[in-house]
Amino acid sequence: MRKRAILAFMLDRPGVLNKVSLLIRKKMYNVDTLTVCRSRIPGVSRMTITLEEKDEAKVTQVIKQLEKFTEVISAKELDTDHSYWREVAIVKLEVDVAHLDAFHGRYNFEILEQKSEDIHLLQVSGSTRNIDAFLDELGQEHIIEIARTGVTAMEK
Amino acid sequence: MTGKQLLLKALKDRGVRHIFGYTGGAIMPIFDEMEKLDIFKFVMSRHEQGAAFMAQGMSRASLSTDAPQIGVCMSTSGPGAMNLVTGVADAHMDSVPMMAITGQVATGVIATDAFQESDVVGVMMPISKQTYMPLSAEEIEKTIHEGFYVATTGRGGPILVDIPKDVQNQQVGEDYQFDVKTYRPQLPGYFYTPTPEREPIQRAIELINKSERPVIFCGHGVINSNAGELLQELAEKVNIPVAFTLHGLSAMPADHPLSLGMMGMHGTVEANRVIMEADLLISFGMRFDDRVTGKLSEYAQNADVIHVEIDPSEIDKNVKTSVAINADVYRTLHVLLGDPMLTYQPRRRWWDKIAVFRKVMADDLEMEIEKGLGDDNKLLMKSIIHQLSKLTEGRDLIVPDVGQHQMMAARFYNYQTKNSWFASGGAGTMGCSLPMAIGVKLARPEERVWSISGDGGFQMNAQELGTIMEQKIDLKIIILNNGHLGMVRQWQTFFFDGRYAGTPMQSPDFGLLAKAYGIPHRRVEKLQDVAPALQEAIDHCGAIVLEFICDPSEVILPMVPSGGGFDTMIIKHPRTEAAKNEGEAA
Repeated sequence: MRKRAILAFMLDRPGVLNKVSLLIRKKMYNVDTLTVCRSRIPGVSRMTITLEEKDEAKVTQVIKQLEKFTEVISAKELDTDHSYWREVAIVKLEVDVAHLDAFHGRYNFEILEQKSEDIHLLQVSGSTRNIDAFLDELGQEHIIEIARTGVTAMEK
Repeated sequence: MTGKQLLLKALKDRGVRHIFGYTGGAIMPIFDEMEKLDIFKFVMSRHEQGAAFMAQGMSRASLSTDAPQIGVCMSTSGPGAMNLVTGVADAHMDSVPMMAITGQVATGVIATDAFQESDVVGVMMPISKQTYMPLSAEEIEKTIHEGFYVATTGRGGPILVDIPKDVQNQQVGEDYQFDVKTYRPQLPGYFYTPTPEREPIQRAIELINKSERPVIFCGHGVINSNAGELLQELAEKVNIPVAFTLHGLSAMPADHPLSLGMMGMHGTVEANRVIMEADLLISFGMRFDDRVTGKLSEYAQNADVIHVEIDPSEIDKNVKTSVAINADVYRTLHVLLGDPMLTYQPRRRWWDKIAVFRKVMADDLEMEIEKGLGDDNKLLMKSIIHQLSKLTEGRDLIVPDVGQHQMMAARFYNYQTKNSWFASGGAGTMGCSLPMAIGVKLARPEERVWSISGDGGFQMNAQELGTIMEQKIDLKIIILNNGHLGMVRQWQTFFFDGRYAGTPMQSPDFGLLAKAYGIPHRRVEKLQDVAPALQEAIDHCGAIVLEFICDPSEVILPMVPSGGGFDTMIIKHPRTEAAKNEGEAA
């Protein structure tokens, strides 16, 4: 299986997200991540969908069928070699500050709030793999709660 | 002006003259306004599904006339709208432009599970080309015009407009303005490319010129873009045989010397064998559906594929193309025909081969048709269709239902009139024939229309006899009654050891049923009575039901088993095979 990112620009109208998710379901995918935001053009949204598929032709089909929607202006695949995939995570964890010091410089994170001596709220950003590595190295047992945005991507 | 008035104005501006439907609480304001206006001919179906198929019949049949009319069906909210679903899904599968207008509960109570509330937009979204829910009267006219534009451009499809009851009654503001003449839909995400590009055309011509064993495919796109004559001209110019998809039938005369007939699961031997051996497929307006290709990995393995198709998402979907022409079929044919590089080639070896393929089943079929009788001396459907074809000289409009009789009608009627075959293909909806034929007849009142159903499909929408009675529709209705769901029975014969699970069926006395609606009925059991009965229907002014008692063991052959390659094509009834083997053993 290969992780794919599909970038689509579409009109910011009710029901468009519904159409996109219907198509992905119909094609029997489970969405890995899905992010939607405004684009530079008023009234146009930017959507990044990641899913797993090894067959190139099938991804092309999804993209063509996305483009078929009246509201979708354009859609394309972004591959990891030619684009940046990034996400943000907010993590609540129970850990010594000293333990965190070891990660400075190696990961892109900041402490949003220290809630008590051991409880911290962190924000960490980077590639999915980078965030996963950070959390693993930190120790999953320290994590109380985590919120991740899912991937947003841009061509290089 | 109110929302309902603007709706009807927009429909009138778009050339709509017929509205098919069924009233109910949430659509009452529009019906009331329609009654006051007296512009439209309202045809009340007896079930909303019927209205959807009538609208389809209108769109399909009128597209080749001087006054194309998009079929419009209307229903109330909730159950009314849900009953349209099958007809809309069917139109979506077969790329038929139509508009379904549904009443919805008032905006104030939407999403509260109000009486007769359903999420119609949510249900229709995956089976429509576009769905709308105007939330103010100001949006209505624009929505209808945009809907018609989307329905009829590019690859056609059904549009749903769900209008809350309060929006129907709402007054537009005093400063409301809408100019039909200057209106252009603002759809930055909606593209279609009617004109072919030069480069793929040139590559296509090179492939055509160098091909030794080419075949042209005629799909629904040829009918939809009114390009039958051009396709015929092209085929004649380059001397290449033409095979038809189910929906491509009647684009050019069925008995044209270049015609191979229908391809696919129940296609002719010659069409399927030609595809197996071809070195080039030149396909116009089709989507390589599984009923057309059989097993994809074994499909036309030695052939290059030129695919002319208006919907880019169909290109490379099932069959990998060598040259993709994402354009309108009519325009592409026009460009191809105007190109002096395209040459005629005799391809004698290819035609000799085709002549051999044509003979494989010809004698058997001819004998069967000639005999006209199967087990227990019951009638054969193919023979009835053949006689109908002879009596009408292949000129009439044929609206089959779905199943075995549909394949018989596809194969054994000699289509001479362009756009004269109206079938449910992609969705394969049983029960479509009777209501669709009503739409077809209203679209082309000067032509004779035959609705041909099996006993199963007929009973799925038999209530539309009421519409036929009320509207005095001159429809020739044929029921090929074999007491079974014939096509499923055929599969059971071939692949389920002859266990007929859920296929035998008891029917009512169709004579009494027809009589209840004041429609004459003839029951035909004897071969010698077939032609006189058909002739009586032709001579009779008004609707008539002809019921033919058919042999349930009749099969439509050849048959490519589902998921099989063309080399697995069955050309003999297993029973005949068994008898032959026994004979040899003895």
